[in-house]
Amino acid sequence: MKKVLALASLAVIGFVLVSTLRLVPFGVNKMNPQVAERYLREGVARTGSVNIVTAIVVNYRGFDTLGEVTVLFLAATGLGAVLFDKRGKRTQRTPASLIVKSAALILFPLIVLLGAYVFVHGHLTPGGGFQGGVIIATGFLLMYMAFRSYDVSHTWLMAIESLAGTTFVVLGLLGLVYGRSFLYNFLPLGTANAVFSAGVIPLIYVAIGLKVGSELTGILDHLMETIR
Amino acid sequence: MLDPVLLIALPLLTAFLVPLVRRAWRPLGEALPLLTLLFDLALAISYVPRALEKPIVVIIAGWRPPLGINLTIGPLGIFMAVMILFVAVLVAIYSIWYIRVEPKERYCMLCLMLVTGSLGMVLTGDIFNLFVFMEITSISAYALTAFIRDRDGSEAAFKYLIIGSLASNFFLLGVVLIYSSTGTLNMADLAAKMPSVDPRIAVPAVILMVVGLGVESEMFPLNGWAPDAYSMAPTPIGAVFGAIVVKGAVYALARMLYTIFNFQGVIHFLVIMGIVTLLMGEMAALRQRQIKRMLAFSSIGQMGLILVALGLGTAGGLVAALFHMLNHALLKALLFLTAGYLVYHSGSKEIADMDGMGRRVPLLAVAFSIGAFGIMGLPPLNGFWSKFLVISETVKAHYVAIAALALVGSVIEAVYYLRVVGRLFFKPADERVRAARLPVSAFVSLGLLVVAVVVIGLYPGWVMHVLQPAAHELLDKSFYIHSVLGP
Repeated sequence: MKKVLALASLAVIGFVLVSTLRLVPFGVNKMNPQVAERYLREGVARTGSVNIVTAIVVNYRGFDTLGEVTVLFLAATGLGAVLFDKRGKRTQRTPASLIVKSAALILFPLIVLLGAYVFVHGHLTPGGGFQGGVIIATGFLLMYMAFRSYDVSHTWLMAIESLAGTTFVVLGLLGLVYGRSFLYNFLPLGTANAVFSAGVIPLIYVAIGLKVGSELTGILDHLMETIR
Repeated sequence: MLDPVLLIALPLLTAFLVPLVRRAWRPLGEALPLLTLLFDLALAISYVPRALEKPIVVIIAGWRPPLGINLTIGPLGIFMAVMILFVAVLVAIYSIWYIRVEPKERYCMLCLMLVTGSLGMVLTGDIFNLFVFMEITSISAYALTAFIRDRDGSEAAFKYLIIGSLASNFFLLGVVLIYSSTGTLNMADLAAKMPSVDPRIAVPAVILMVVGLGVESEMFPLNGWAPDAYSMAPTPIGAVFGAIVVKGAVYALARMLYTIFNFQGVIHFLVIMGIVTLLMGEMAALRQRQIKRMLAFSSIGQMGLILVALGLGTAGGLVAALFHMLNHALLKALLFLTAGYLVYHSGSKEIADMDGMGRRVPLLAVAFSIGAFGIMGLPPLNGFWSKFLVISETVKAHYVAIAALALVGSVIEAVYYLRVVGRLFFKPADERVRAARLPVSAFVSLGLLVVAVVVIGLYPGWVMHVLQPAAHELLDKSFYIHSVLGP
């Protein structure tokens, strides 16, 4: 009886949601001339970032991004608190084969390099701090998978994480000191398409990249400890 | 004049810095969160006169709304911010001695981010930003629920996590629907554009948002997470739930319903949901044997009363709702924080084991009784005024039957609180419980709460002075729109 009721209510909710979403036209230009159109029209000139997604994420709506970075930080901190001094059952893991080990050693620096490339060029090419950070964390995941005894220092991860977060907030506060508001882009915009352009945007993305990379590595490390 | 964005930026900065500072110099690392919160409280109070005069619009990243994100600090926002920070400071003082489970540094960080999140929720002027801050608040709440790493705590946190994430997804879906039909996320801009939105999209959007926020504000069928989370989390966190997390969600609910949507039907629907929540909460509280669970259900009941007042849609009703929010925040914090030491000294969570604690730890029992009398609404404590206002405003709005039911709820409440108070003072104490003294940190935080409860009870006019403009801000939609976007 309970299951029937649950299924019936699910069906009703689903039907209402689908019929509502069908009312929203798809693929039609319904940009708000005061918001979305202005981002596209004047975004490059006023933020210096050629990647307009980055301009919106880091500059126009930078405050949201600060919040999103905090959400990830919270997830890592919360996991650390919940799994604090929890040791796993020491199940025997099969050691990785020689092929995986040797390939991991070659690939690891390349993966980290790619990650760094993605976040340093966040204002020029698709991608950015979040994506770059995740790529770096996959490099560390590969190392965890290949070597049983591989370990990253918690102290270092924590230090990078904290420093990167602090850098983001401090850059925002500097905007308050040297500019007109929190997160204000107070550095010169430079010429579009150059690596050193778009003011604080690349700096913030580097901070985000390091932060996301160290946080996800930290999460992996915590989870690895519980199965080791 | 310091920029009001510091209210949000400083606790966040401290949360990021705590691990570093703690490694550099431990005492500073331990004191830093409390110092930041104290500074933030002072800062918030210093903005009160300006915010009452005219809402402060804070531009972020140099983009004027609706292009960028802004903070809108009106009478309502600053009232909520001061309330949140006051309770946060007291909980931080209380936790100095109470929380001794490692990792303490993570506890501080999570608490700071919870405060950051709820401050962001009440101050922001952007609906997606509200969602982001809601996520920050609720994720730190999930982690704090599981902070004592036992089976029950993890179970409660997991339940809360599932319900809470579902709720935030509903809210986000609502945001998506209205963004797709207006192309803006700024709340003032949305409020201005709302009348022209197709009601077939607006009504589902408002329902999704009410459901999403209803979970966090403990509305009746959605509050299954609350009793477990309240009772399994560390005790100071119970106080934080009742005084900060839930209040932030109710603020968001009021902001959505009054400023953005302003559909009378949905607003009045809250009266029905509120009274059901009230009666369910009170009846469940009557049956509880554990003190923290009883307080949790009582909190649900009080939220019901607040929702009733919020749904009346009159200026008087809103003043009553906001006043009761403040009083409930103070009283529930007082009750939870005293209950923490009652449990600690008696060594049991059961109400039955608290017999005679009034003789062993008199200060604690007196503080608990003041909290209980306040919640029951005995004059001259603060709870009397707000309860009286809620009920008289309900009668004025011609909901006589609802007012009668709310009074029935109050009677049930009196029964179970008096039962506990009676046990504390008039039963012989257990031999094993010895007389004990309160640590200074608990004494200071409980003392300040008692003082606040009594002072507001004696001089309710001071609070009214802030509440009337706050209620006006909610009711007068065009005032909000003009103060953000200009005339």
